[in-house]
Amino acid sequence: MPEEVIVCEGLWHIYPGDVVALRDASLTIAAGEAVGIIGQNGSGKTTLVKHFNGLLKPTKGRMLVDGVDASTVGVHELSRKIGYVFQNPNHQLFAKSVTEELAFAPTNLGLEPEVVEERVERAFEFFDLGPLRDTHPYRLSFPLRKLVAMAAIYTLEPKVFVLDEPTTGQDHVGVGLVQKLVEKLRTEGATVVIVSHDMILQAESTDRLVVLWQAQIIGDAMPREIFSADELMQKTNLQPPQVTQLSRRIHRSGLPEAALRVSELAQPLASML
Amino acid sequence: MSSDVEYLPIPIIRIPGNSFFHRLHPIPKLIWVTGVIVLCFATRNPLVLGVIFLIGLLFFFVSRTWSGYRRFMGILFPISLSLMVFQSLAPAFPQPWIPVADLGPFTIYNEGVYSGLSMLARAWASSNLAILTVMTTHPSDLFAALQAAGMPYELNFMLMASLQLIPIVQREFTVVLSAQRSRGMKAHGFGAVLPSMVPVFAGTIERVQQLSMSLESRGFGSKGEKTSLRKIKAVPLDWFVGILGVVFTVVGVLLVIRYKAALDWSEVVFLPGWLSIALVIGCAVTFVTFTIVVIRRASRA
Repeated sequence: MPEEVIVCEGLWHIYPGDVVALRDASLTIAAGEAVGIIGQNGSGKTTLVKHFNGLLKPTKGRMLVDGVDASTVGVHELSRKIGYVFQNPNHQLFAKSVTEELAFAPTNLGLEPEVVEERVERAFEFFDLGPLRDTHPYRLSFPLRKLVAMAAIYTLEPKVFVLDEPTTGQDHVGVGLVQKLVEKLRTEGATVVIVSHDMILQAESTDRLVVLWQAQIIGDAMPREIFSADELMQKTNLQPPQVTQLSRRIHRSGLPEAALRVSELAQPLASML
Repeated sequence: MSSDVEYLPIPIIRIPGNSFFHRLHPIPKLIWVTGVIVLCFATRNPLVLGVIFLIGLLFFFVSRTWSGYRRFMGILFPISLSLMVFQSLAPAFPQPWIPVADLGPFTIYNEGVYSGLSMLARAWASSNLAILTVMTTHPSDLFAALQAAGMPYELNFMLMASLQLIPIVQREFTVVLSAQRSRGMKAHGFGAVLPSMVPVFAGTIERVQQLSMSLESRGFGSKGEKTSLRKIKAVPLDWFVGILGVVFTVVGVLLVIRYKAALDWSEVVFLPGWLSIALVIGCAVTFVTFTIVVIRRASRA
């Protein structure tokens, strides 16, 4: 049985002013899983994931990270296990060079300089950012800043990566890069949580989708199941990827019922024509 | 874009309502704010300042903005107590000073206690109406009123944009702090300053540049009179309150000048030594406790 890295038990979060942002959310994420969190704006997605690294503490319920109650541990401690990549890289970048930026997190953890250097080098290799070592992060384009921000979390070597809207502001190449990075992280055994409206990314990169609606979790299943649940999609005002919609419309023998990738539909369709 | 953003409660925000103060035209409010500030700085008399403060408190109840004021005072109150402590030990007052008690290596002076009480009362009294105005005035109404009063459009816009920038920068700072804490940063000490402030300043500068381009693209720099979607009409009561504000300021200042000697209680009010010590220690303990609680909360995060 895979190890449970994140366990939410009856999580509630009520903001000042009695705003219920999360209502009785229960969720378990096992090690090595890639989980997508989807839902409309204001449905509670970011509120939910901010409990994972302790940025928010539950009003009611329990949040366990690697078996430890997250409400008893500080954010800087939880950052050893949960790496949260913020949507806007500009909220993180402050150092004079990309190298310093990448070294910031492991230095905060009190790691030895040799270990920090090792981690920084691994991050440069993983993200292919070597040529930008001495570049000031603010001189980089937005997509590259996003990569640097992700690399800056990678050096924490956390068990879980939480990516908040990783493809926002990215062009087609950038989106492809994010997908490749998610796959690479998974091959290294990391658990990945993706909060995103990008349904294509969610369909192609996750094993499981968690659907939020009006502060509640109302769906938790494989992407194919979720995208095929018409009532759920209508209720939450979410749209499956186009290829999924098309494959469901033209479904017949020999064609997939709910394709998640273009290649899933294109090949059998081409052979029929 | 995810809309769930954790934010620090902003101590001064507009609180919607329909009280007399909400309905009052912004210009008479500004006249009264200016008048009260002028009067508060024209006298040191704790009684005069105390009365102004209490009247301001009453206005908060009447306008139903008491909850907002409480949040603001939660910050101003402990910080202003430090005035009491420092003034008692080193009065901003002409010498000679009369010592009333010794507190270890320090000497508490009567003029210092009086000066501390005055400064405390002045800080509270002068800020009351200003806070009330912010809480009961829609920024667009203030903008429209100032424009109608003849304030240059660009200057007016700069003032409004600055006021609106404060909550934006506060929110930005909270998000940046969350982002850096997620990278293992402990949120206190000098080590937290650079990682927290650089993204905020850089983001603010970027935002200002983008705003400038956006404004120019929407005809901000065009010449000629600019119309306004929001129109504020002054009713006779607004005029009356405004004129009353001017009269209050002029009469008030003339009176404090006329009776300056009688209002100077520094040689009349003489607190016993034990009371002075208790006051100074009480203020110091409250201020230090508040500081420790804030730092602990930040470091526990």
